[in-house]
Amino acid sequence: MIPARHSFLEATARARVRGLLDAGSFREFCGPAQRRTSPHLPALGMPVAFDDGIVVGEGTIEGRPVLIAAQEGAFMGGAVGEVHGAKLTGLLERALDTRPDAVVLLLDSGGVRLHEANAGLIAMGEIQRAVFDARAAGIEVIAVIGGRNGCYGGTSIVARSCDRIIASEEGRLSVSGPEVIEAVEGIEEFDAQDRALVWRTMGAKHRRLTGEIDEIVADDIDAFRSAVAAVLGAPRPFDLDALEAEHARLAGRVARFKGAKDAREIWAALGVNDPDRVSDIEADEFNRLVAVLEGDRP
Amino acid sequence: MDVSTHSVRGDWNSLARNYDARLARGLALAGGKVIPSPQTTALMEAVIEPGDRICIEGNNQKHADFLSRALAEVDPAKVHGLHVVQSNIALAPHLDIFESGIARRLDFCYAGPQGLRLAQLVKAGKVEVGAIHTYLELYSRYFADLTPRVSLIAAEAADRDGNLYTGPNTEDTPAIVEATAFRSGVLIAQVNRIVDKVPRVDVPGDWVSFVVEAPKPHYIEPIFTRDPGAITDIQVLMAMMVIRGIYEKYGVTRLNHGIGFDTAAIELILPTYAEELGLRGKICRYMSVNPCPTLIPAIESGFIEAIHCAGSELGMERYVSERSDVFFIGRDGTMRSNRVFCQLAGHYADLFIGSTLQIDLEGNSSTATHARMTGFGGAPNFGSESRGRRHGSPAWLRAGQEAHRQGMPRGRKLVVQMVETFKEGLAPTFVERLDAWELMDTFDMPLPPVMVYGDDLTHIVTEEGIANLLLCDSLAERAQAIRGVAGYTEVGRKRDRQMVEKLRARGAILYPEDIGVDKRLASRDLLAARSIKDLVRWSEGLYAPPARFKNW
Repeated sequence: MIPARHSFLEATARARVRGLLDAGSFREFCGPAQRRTSPHLPALGMPVAFDDGIVVGEGTIEGRPVLIAAQEGAFMGGAVGEVHGAKLTGLLERALDTRPDAVVLLLDSGGVRLHEANAGLIAMGEIQRAVFDARAAGIEVIAVIGGRNGCYGGTSIVARSCDRIIASEEGRLSVSGPEVIEAVEGIEEFDAQDRALVWRTMGAKHRRLTGEIDEIVADDIDAFRSAVAAVLGAPRPFDLDALEAEHARLAGRVARFKGAKDAREIWAALGVNDPDRVSDIEADEFNRLVAVLEGDRP
Repeated sequence: MDVSTHSVRGDWNSLARNYDARLARGLALAGGKVIPSPQTTALMEAVIEPGDRICIEGNNQKHADFLSRALAEVDPAKVHGLHVVQSNIALAPHLDIFESGIARRLDFCYAGPQGLRLAQLVKAGKVEVGAIHTYLELYSRYFADLTPRVSLIAAEAADRDGNLYTGPNTEDTPAIVEATAFRSGVLIAQVNRIVDKVPRVDVPGDWVSFVVEAPKPHYIEPIFTRDPGAITDIQVLMAMMVIRGIYEKYGVTRLNHGIGFDTAAIELILPTYAEELGLRGKICRYMSVNPCPTLIPAIESGFIEAIHCAGSELGMERYVSERSDVFFIGRDGTMRSNRVFCQLAGHYADLFIGSTLQIDLEGNSSTATHARMTGFGGAPNFGSESRGRRHGSPAWLRAGQEAHRQGMPRGRKLVVQMVETFKEGLAPTFVERLDAWELMDTFDMPLPPVMVYGDDLTHIVTEEGIANLLLCDSLAERAQAIRGVAGYTEVGRKRDRQMVEKLRARGAILYPEDIGVDKRLASRDLLAARSIKDLVRWSEGLYAPPARFKNW
């Protein structure tokens, strides 16, 4: 029997926020009643959402104050438009005033909302700057990935600008999406229909093994909540030394794996004995594997 | 009167002699029973004669695709005017042979994705359609007026004597082979590999004329896999109503499920909702259905005790092999399926439940849509009253009491359609007149293509409620019972409220609150598995889903 659980993947943005926060603690900013909708979509004859596809507000996790945002993947694939972006930027800027223990971003997005063109692109830049401002002020920003849309495009850049990323194995993190790669490079290079290939190339387990995601949890809202609670108030260093160390790590990674044709070759090179099994094992077994690999590292 | 005692004809073995001649021509070319694959088309030119009736094996899943392509390459000057008698028109070469004149006449069951092109070829006069059948009808005619002269079949492996191993996807092979081999027909088998010894003999070698090792394994489509992630709360609600209002009420133990998301929802709430109602061991014990992955939780939790399958399903092979108490398994450890026996078992079961695209006010239903010629497949035989049935069972007798309230007591098979009132794109499921009528005119059919007739149907389940047609005494009542569950469709909005209340008082219309179904509980949280990954977990890693269904 599979134990009952509350899937993060299936939940709406609002259900995710409710599930992560202490019961009754959520206070929403710019909620749907205020109807701050996209000014661009009606011109294209497209429907709007009263919250423009993002929920922002404040609450507590195990009694500790946080600011929280959740993208609604069911509205335009969680894509970032002008209002959507402004709500996220405003939330991050508020952190400088209220100094919460963390800003938690539940990302579920294909990236910029192309219908809003430059406004969406500008929003991305503003969000990223606001993330850095918060971090520079010593406020932790945590990205959470586990929705159906994964975390792509500009949103993936925002995620990697955060202190840390927590994801379920259903989560995906990549700049370009599978269909884009297939369209540009050809199906021989990347078959977007081959979902096993998509997940082992962009999925959270691969990103964890290559050091872009910090923690893998099961697809369960409580598991996400516990993982976020465990790292509240523990910002990572955000200075020149940290940046240079990250650049050096990434340069070393490119040099080490540039010949690899498939993620499984990288996993094998990292010391995984049975790379074919990695995709199938559960989060807890995967985390034990990661612990062994990292413990073995010099 | 002068009655002659002489035979009306002097030659009683012409078919056998003709077979010998064909075999000799084939052997002269191939040198033996096993032929090299590049010679396949030449072999066909040698053994197929103009005007032959021919069957190219292919059903929902397994297809003799290599042989089908080889046939499409024969010289139409040598082979032409064939009469194709096969269940499924699914691959492009199935129709290419009509375009080039190799084939002329067609008797079939189902056209699926080729339905549009078939319709165009019929209009262009390239295909003369004899009739569109159900599976059992066409197989039956193999043993009467439509016996193939040549059959092209597919198997997993063969030895050099022609013994065939079909693997779990035996499907239609036995029916085709039996009819062809025992009436002097030529049997050509494509196999994925030639081996020294087959794991088990599904078809004895002396029935088989020629064997060819195909360059690529035969095509198999995973058409019975439904991702639990796509099941909606509405479907869970309907599944709850089916369990309480039909399975529990009648005590349905032997049944056949259609293959849509609606019935998958039923399967996935057996271990949760039905378990809580204490229904394990009381309902859903024996099924006639393919090994759909969504059955795994109900098997593992002890609901379903035995399943006979028409075919297999990609990724389920190991799981099925490891559950030989439940499935029909050969001594070699792999499943044996058989569409004919599965269809028969389903026909004589207590209940059939499936989905459809349109239902009219008599309860006739059709999956026919404009511009396509799709056909029937297996649903009409599963979804019809089994008037030849004589043995009793609690469900059959209980339904019979409702159906035959006067005169000779009889039983009744339950035939259920489970539909949402609107389809995708807000197309209403309930209509005054089926599109099937127009289709009849378009394709010059003898009758409108109805999948399940209204007088075979006993229940309609929608998100609004259940119509029990057994308790309706007239066509007018039946129409109101259907309107009473048709929601906000035009048909539903034209209901006579007083009639509906009267029917509800009688139990001919049941709403969720009438059968103890709490709508507030109707959510995906009831699903024992919410994703393909959950199905893998339930199977303890034995189910290996095809890559297209993964999100990990």
